[in-house]
Amino acid sequence: MANVEASKVDLFVKKMYQQRYLYLMSVPFIILVLIFNYIPIWGWIMSFQNFKLGRTFFEQEWVGLANFIQILSDKQFYLVLRNTLAMSVMGLIAGFTIPIIFAVSLNEVSHTGYKKIVQTISYLPHFVSWVVVAGIFYKLLSTDGGVVNDILMKLGFIGEPIQFMAKGKLFWWIVTLADIWKEMGWNSIIFISAITAIDPQLYDAAKVDGCGRFRQIWHITLPGIRSVVIVLLILSIGNLVRIGFEKQMLLSNPLVFDYSEVLDLYALKYGLGLNRFSFGTAIGMFSSLVSVCLLFTANGLFKHYSKESVM
Amino acid sequence: MLKNKKIVLVFGLVIFISLPIFSNSNKEKASETSDKVTTFTAFFADPNSSWNGMQDDVGKFLTEKTGVTLNVEMAVGDPAQKINLIAASGVYPDLISPKGDNGALIESGALIDLTDLIDKHAPNIKAVLGDQIKRLRHSYEDQSIYFIPTLDAINQYYYKVGGPFNLQLDVVEKLGYPEIRTLEDYEAAIKAYVEKYPTIDGQKTIGLSLLADDWRIMISTTNPAFFATGAPDDGEFTIDPKTFDAMLHYKRPAEREYFRWLNHMNDIGLLDKESFVQKYDQYLAKIAAGKVLAVIDQDWEIGQAVNSLKSEGKFNRTYGKFPVTLDESYKIPVFQQAGFNGGWGIAITKSCKDPVKAIKFLDYLASEEGQILVNWGIEGKHYNYNEKGERIIPADVLDMKINDNNKFKKETGVGNYLLSLRYGDGNKDSTGNYYTTNYPEQILSDYSDFEKKVLKNYNATFWKDLFPKEDEFPVKPWGAAWNIPIPNDSPITVFQQKEQDIIRQLIPEAIMATPAEFDGIYDKMLAQLEAIDSTKIEKEYTSYVKKRIKLWTE
Repeated sequence: MANVEASKVDLFVKKMYQQRYLYLMSVPFIILVLIFNYIPIWGWIMSFQNFKLGRTFFEQEWVGLANFIQILSDKQFYLVLRNTLAMSVMGLIAGFTIPIIFAVSLNEVSHTGYKKIVQTISYLPHFVSWVVVAGIFYKLLSTDGGVVNDILMKLGFIGEPIQFMAKGKLFWWIVTLADIWKEMGWNSIIFISAITAIDPQLYDAAKVDGCGRFRQIWHITLPGIRSVVIVLLILSIGNLVRIGFEKQMLLSNPLVFDYSEVLDLYALKYGLGLNRFSFGTAIGMFSSLVSVCLLFTANGLFKHYSKESVM
Repeated sequence: MLKNKKIVLVFGLVIFISLPIFSNSNKEKASETSDKVTTFTAFFADPNSSWNGMQDDVGKFLTEKTGVTLNVEMAVGDPAQKINLIAASGVYPDLISPKGDNGALIESGALIDLTDLIDKHAPNIKAVLGDQIKRLRHSYEDQSIYFIPTLDAINQYYYKVGGPFNLQLDVVEKLGYPEIRTLEDYEAAIKAYVEKYPTIDGQKTIGLSLLADDWRIMISTTNPAFFATGAPDDGEFTIDPKTFDAMLHYKRPAEREYFRWLNHMNDIGLLDKESFVQKYDQYLAKIAAGKVLAVIDQDWEIGQAVNSLKSEGKFNRTYGKFPVTLDESYKIPVFQQAGFNGGWGIAITKSCKDPVKAIKFLDYLASEEGQILVNWGIEGKHYNYNEKGERIIPADVLDMKINDNNKFKKETGVGNYLLSLRYGDGNKDSTGNYYTTNYPEQILSDYSDFEKKVLKNYNATFWKDLFPKEDEFPVKPWGAAWNIPIPNDSPITVFQQKEQDIIRQLIPEAIMATPAEFDGIYDKMLAQLEAIDSTKIEKEYTSYVKKRIKLWTE
């Protein structure tokens, strides 16, 4: 038994020696990851301190879990957590189904020139900053000459303009909608390229077998991009709690506060904004841990049920 | 051999990439002799778009005179973030003007105590301050002087009315100059005009528009509540003048009635429906279009829009200021004096190359010569003395100053260097002229003819004539409560953020609700404030107010 173990180790060392240049080539990247991704984790220590600027590490006051207790006992924290998860789940569902549908239907278009033009136009909004997008949505949904209200009024659906931006319940939908408008084309690029990688012979074979358009999509196109979809899905689930805050900050206003505050805004306002660096770090740490858990859970589930995973 | 070379190359690359991480990039601190021109780095929390790198007339003159130039970085977006970064990094600019966000800097020991420097090297600053130097001390616990105040001028006499109740001049003119004294009058005027003129230049007339974009909600929506009910501006707290007890101003029963009036304005359709949704730029655009009859706001917030109305010649669409209160039993206290506040200003940091030269620079700005320079410009170029010894701005310079103020500031630099202690409006220098360019005759020349006509019909020369005067109110012994420094780790800090979260949501909600729902929402707001311990925090705040009075009088 021991012999087998030893020979295994021997083999490993031998192989390592054979591939020594490959190992060497990976060194710079490992260093980069260490510097930018692992060393900053050291800063997490702050969340167990009452960190104050201008003091050395040893002069800081240690407070144990006080910051975490404070977070978990704050009612507002649960509110922002709810908003964060709600908006990211909505974003996730819409952000996958719609680009996939778009990619698949674009793939069915036979006119190459038209296809190219549509694709280009659809991903251009990705390069527009959120500040501008928020401005556009504000204008569209305005009660004072906003297009949406004007159309609804002209069609006689409503008598009075609706204050879309002042309705808390609509806020999540507006954010999701704005997100789709901005990112749909961009997100579909990867699916379109995955579709082009599917062997055309499969389609020919299907046609011979008498499959129509929809049958082809169902049996060839969708299974063909399945692995790409699953990998992307697992990665996005890992990022569920980190949806950033630009959209929410730019689109919100005091009236929809209960629906617009997200975790990052909360950390910014109650952590950094008030110079409570430890508190902010604790929130950041909490969301990182949640992210890791989500990632592993999603990965495990997919591995178990669909035999596809990222790790 | 070739393989080895490759390895060396890869290693070399790795070292090359990682080198900058270990080297210290901050080594430029060469000592400079004081007769050469010293460049001080500086950070200003208030961005000034007219800043010209001291290449304007006044700037060049200053460099020549003091041997100092400033290399200024200004805040982009929220200054607090940048200031905290400066505090955390330990790499400070030579001079810093952080406004209200000074807590982190003081806490991290970034600022030097100026007490001795002022004593030894700043005779002018000392002379201007006199006895009031006590008010520069930071707090009762930490009596160091960190700032040369730049926001608050000494013995400031206010000629201009800053706000908050503005009404378009065209409204009062068309309605035959009715008395505008109470909210009722204000409302009636707006209402009558909207009925008479439902559109302005083809666009729908807006009766009253408010702004609630982030912190601006305080300026346009919540602060006017205490002004209209006779209480002075002490930030979110109101201070009892006898016992010095602090209380959240929303708890004053009269303010509920003010907000009820706003609710009523919304109910009858005179309040802009987008008031609490619109962003600052949308708000300005509306005002600049001339279609908003009334704005409850301060001059500095709507100034940009009003200037654009002026430049288009729509003088009838600019605003008059009226002493509006809830009812006749209140007097609007916008001119109540808070005395000299010290407070926000410019500080010298620990990393300053030459603190003595820096304080001398600031001292020069505080001298009579320096103050005239920063306020008036250069003699013979931006002003002259006439035969009576009066300081006069030549017509062409004045024309540019009034009609193209941005260009004026950029080229001449007048107004760009209010970086040190100075006398406020209404103080005369040794030549018998005013230190500043805001004096009665000057202000009058800023008024448009339309404005003068309206004022004449109210038997007034200045807007101020319509308002209760300074001597009708006692001087507040605690100054302005909103600039009492509160330490970062005080529970007040977190409380204020939570309080703002509640206020910014529920005040708009209460105003937008139906009149029947109003009280319920207002009570809910008070209950939520109580739930975050407002009574306890008020007591804590009271102790800070009392400590400040002690600090200033001892």
